[in-house]
Amino acid sequence: MWLPVLGLIIGVALGLMTDLQIPQEYASYLSISILAAFDSLIGGIRAHLQNTYDEKIFVSGFFSNIILAATLSFLGVQLGVDLYLAAVFAFGVRLFQNIAVIRRILINKWTDARNQKNLTK
Amino acid sequence: MRKKTIITFTVITILIGFMLAIRYNSVNESKPRDTRDLWDLREDYMEAKEMETKLLQEIRKSDEKIAKYKEEMLNSPEKALLETLNELKKEAGLKEMKGPGITLTLYQDNSLILPGQMESYLSPEVLRKLLNELNMYGAKEISIAGQRVVNTTVIREIQGVTKIDGFPLRVFPIEIKVIAGTMEEAKKLYNRMQVSSITDSFIIDNIGVSISEPMEEIVIPPYLNTFKAEIMKTLDNEGGV
Repeated sequence: MWLPVLGLIIGVALGLMTDLQIPQEYASYLSISILAAFDSLIGGIRAHLQNTYDEKIFVSGFFSNIILAATLSFLGVQLGVDLYLAAVFAFGVRLFQNIAVIRRILINKWTDARNQKNLTK
Repeated sequence: MRKKTIITFTVITILIGFMLAIRYNSVNESKPRDTRDLWDLREDYMEAKEMETKLLQEIRKSDEKIAKYKEEMLNSPEKALLETLNELKKEAGLKEMKGPGITLTLYQDNSLILPGQMESYLSPEVLRKLLNELNMYGAKEISIAGQRVVNTTVIREIQGVTKIDGFPLRVFPIEIKVIAGTMEEAKKLYNRMQVSSITDSFIIDNIGVSISEPMEEIVIPPYLNTFKAEIMKTLDNEGGV
């Protein structure tokens, strides 16, 4: 359970140590990609808690979301329309929804466990 | 959680962390880079050093003055005040100044005037440029045609005549007297003016410039007009040290 958190820390450390930089023009693509990645991650956690987790769907969703988001913002830049907002909106809404579902599941689990404990007493 | 799922999640979080870190790096490191080379740095350092010496000198002067004030406060407060007043007058250009320096003479260069051409015309821009150059090369006090140049001096054209503080500069030759701090500095100033391109700017207006050898004593008259300090105000509380 703690391994993913450790992974996040390792990733941040790696990124900081390599001192890699991307030009300012591409910064927005990276931002939108990070958002997409977070969305996929939270979605994966939710699916896992609802026991509908599928490895293939999770991994493919992660990469396709990132690519789609970056493509959309690229297209937006070419067309002169702020299309990345669509991605931000979609991912933002989904993030909130997923987090809400995760919260409910966790609270339910917690109350169930407490009730069970009380019953056994 | 199955082992494989955990590994997948870990790989994904490593990726996310990596992206976050790169984003952080790119946001933070967009400061302009210091591209000064060794010479630039050396020059900047020298400048800072000079500034430091100047400030230190000023501090020492002020310290001395404070000590003097304290010492003379009891005996004769007027004397210290008078001395300060004299010093300030000197600084403001209200006193006659003597010292080593050079004299520049602007004369009408007839050889350059073609028939039908206008007479020599001294433009305020060029004159101002000359003053800037003189100040840049270490001039301490300057007077133009007997008019002392002070901080508030205006050089401008009024109805086709170039005037300095209201005094018309119409009659050639015009003498520009310049005092440098020491004889050494006067020589330096002389050399620098010799190679300066400012004379070319004057020739366009049919004016020649002759530069005298550095002299031991040049006398510059005091500023005769009254100072108009309209924007200046006295401080409410007495400025301390």
